[in-house]
Amino acid sequence: METTHRLEWTLLATPLMMFLLVCLGFPAIVNLIYSVSDISFETLRSPEISGFGNFAAVLTDSGFWRANWFSLRFGLLTAILECLIGLGLAVFLAPLFKDRSWPIAILMLPLMVAPALMGLMYRLVLHEFAGPVPHYLWAWFGNSPAFLGPNSAFWTLIVVETLQWTPFAFLLFHMAYQAIPEELREAASIDGATGLARFWRIELPLMLPTLAAALLIRFIDGFRVFDNVYVLAGSGAGGSTTSLSIYIYEAFFKQAAIGKAVAASVILFAASFAVLYGLNRLARRRRR
Amino acid sequence: MKPVARFAAALLGSVFAAGLYAGAANAEVTVLGWPGGPEETALRAAADAYNAKDDVSEENKVELLFFNRDGFWDKLQADLAAGSDAFDLNLLATYSIGRYAPFMEPVELSDEAQALYGDAVLSTMQFDGKQYGVPTDLSLHFMYYRKDLIDALMSDDDARARYADISEEHLGTAMEPKNPDEWTWDDYAATALYFTKAVNPDSPTRYGTVLQMKNLLFNIMVWQSTARSYGGDWMDADGKITVDSEAFRKGLELYKKLYDAGATPRDSLSYEFAEANAAYAAGQVAAMVQWNAAAADLTNAEKSPAVGEVTATIAPPAGPEARATHIHGLGLGLNKSAENKEGAKAFLKWLSTEEAALIYARAGGAPALSADAVSAVAEERPDLVQLGEYAGAYGYVMNGGASANALAIYELQAKEFTGYWSGQQDLDTALANVEKGMADLLK
Repeated sequence: METTHRLEWTLLATPLMMFLLVCLGFPAIVNLIYSVSDISFETLRSPEISGFGNFAAVLTDSGFWRANWFSLRFGLLTAILECLIGLGLAVFLAPLFKDRSWPIAILMLPLMVAPALMGLMYRLVLHEFAGPVPHYLWAWFGNSPAFLGPNSAFWTLIVVETLQWTPFAFLLFHMAYQAIPEELREAASIDGATGLARFWRIELPLMLPTLAAALLIRFIDGFRVFDNVYVLAGSGAGGSTTSLSIYIYEAFFKQAAIGKAVAASVILFAASFAVLYGLNRLARRRRR
Repeated sequence: MKPVARFAAALLGSVFAAGLYAGAANAEVTVLGWPGGPEETALRAAADAYNAKDDVSEENKVELLFFNRDGFWDKLQADLAAGSDAFDLNLLATYSIGRYAPFMEPVELSDEAQALYGDAVLSTMQFDGKQYGVPTDLSLHFMYYRKDLIDALMSDDDARARYADISEEHLGTAMEPKNPDEWTWDDYAATALYFTKAVNPDSPTRYGTVLQMKNLLFNIMVWQSTARSYGGDWMDADGKITVDSEAFRKGLELYKKLYDAGATPRDSLSYEFAEANAAYAAGQVAAMVQWNAAAADLTNAEKSPAVGEVTATIAPPAGPEARATHIHGLGLGLNKSAENKEGAKAFLKWLSTEEAALIYARAGGAPALSADAVSAVAEERPDLVQLGEYAGAYGYVMNGGASANALAIYELQAKEFTGYWSGQQDLDTALANVEKGMADLLK
């Protein structure tokens, strides 16, 4: 029985293990080798191990830390904004969604647009001579701000990202809100709780796990942002809108600094693993 | 098509540009071309003409392969490095030739090529003294300007006086408006300021010029003719990096001055080709330096109703040392891993003949042909006459501009110089960073 069980487990797990080894293990090993090698496009198949110079180059590059700071700020701000707005919409518009589902479909529409196309769309929408937003601002106020200027590009990107991904957060909160038993609300009302008290003391606590998950997912998505930022603003004047993903992409393809790009991605991988492991441990401790 | 629609189309085109695959089932000589523009149309015409020739055997007929223009060079880099034999001939550009040369083979051109193109144009496809491709298209810069506005300025005494006042206030010298063909960069700056509403509330246009200042290597190619006209170069003859020079300072300060004075749209730090064209085509800009590829749209009244009839093109303004326009060529070269090298070489040799160049030109391509050769298509393609003339008279490639790391150098300059223009760092720091980075890249 034990032997049969082990054989079944081996048979069932083998495809998954093979998949992981081929699709994740092999690239990971190649990346690790490249990150400690003197490597160029000409020597992709014969890298020379050179030590940790690539890691030193990354860690002493102010551009790397600037890209980290951009990604961190971008990820945090967009996650918070998306969750706040998404939560607000889910709660305040709940009566509207009770009997009608079509408004939800409309709210979901931005999710259907590829992020690169979203960037492209806003390049057009915000252009001073072709875009409707500056057109009406000039017509009504005789002026229009530089949406993608050096001081405003970051905030424009935040708004664009928030507009696109708030529906995702909203959807999570909508599901969580609908899942709260109606009896709880009725009981609270009978006990004299106001709408605000109901929200703070009953609904929000029950939605906290969803809030944590939404914040985490949106932070990860914002932190690794690439396409819409790259299409809309590139890496920005003086590198001011260089996210970590853009930093790695440009080091690899634009500067042909393959070892440095791969070393940066290894550092990112290690840091991400550490953060996720830490969060996981924290969550387990709270469950106990 | 309206300018707005064309701007949208240009943006979409940059992402989707004709990602077409021209069925290569029986391909014997496979050519990877530049998709989605006149270059594709012209290459198709040339390939059809070649395949129709009696002396081209079935196994040497040409099939064309196109994929997306977006990220083209990065994908090509990966393909070549991987030793792909999916194509025998591939696209090549002057600024990327050094990067791809290790994966390509030098080629032999026809006997007519020298007289057909001339040394300057042939050199756009050379690396390490060897010819790596046939120069099928040439890109350089024109200055586009509004004839109606300049004529009005020149013929109005009050306007001339105002022009002198503005130039004295902003540039330190009371200047007289001139014919654009005689402009120096100071005249360009004075005119740009005069036609800027923020400087001159009576200006008929919102901005005097539109500068492409996005952190993008192609924008540095547009800008660097200012430095070149003051005598600037990347390196001297001994290989010493000479970027931290008076010439580069002058060119960089010119852009900074115009940007800070509001003579270019305030979003210019995010502008590239399409955005600059849209601004000019809206009729709110008096003059700009732009790629020759914009001429067909900006001088056409149907495509650019606000400016098409009143736009003229000439070479960029002069500096004290030269009148200069950056040139780079697009061409086709031989993949080292090609499966049919002999067939590919035969096609390249034919492509560098006058017969092929004229077919290519008539189909919309932009080869820079010598005065003799271009006369055969001058009536159909008058722009090619100007192209060849300017390339020969004013064309330059920076010393090191075709080196293995030329692209990375342009990227470095784009990042540092846009940092200066946007006020994030001072000029000394920007130039020092570029010199340091270039020293590493040119080792």
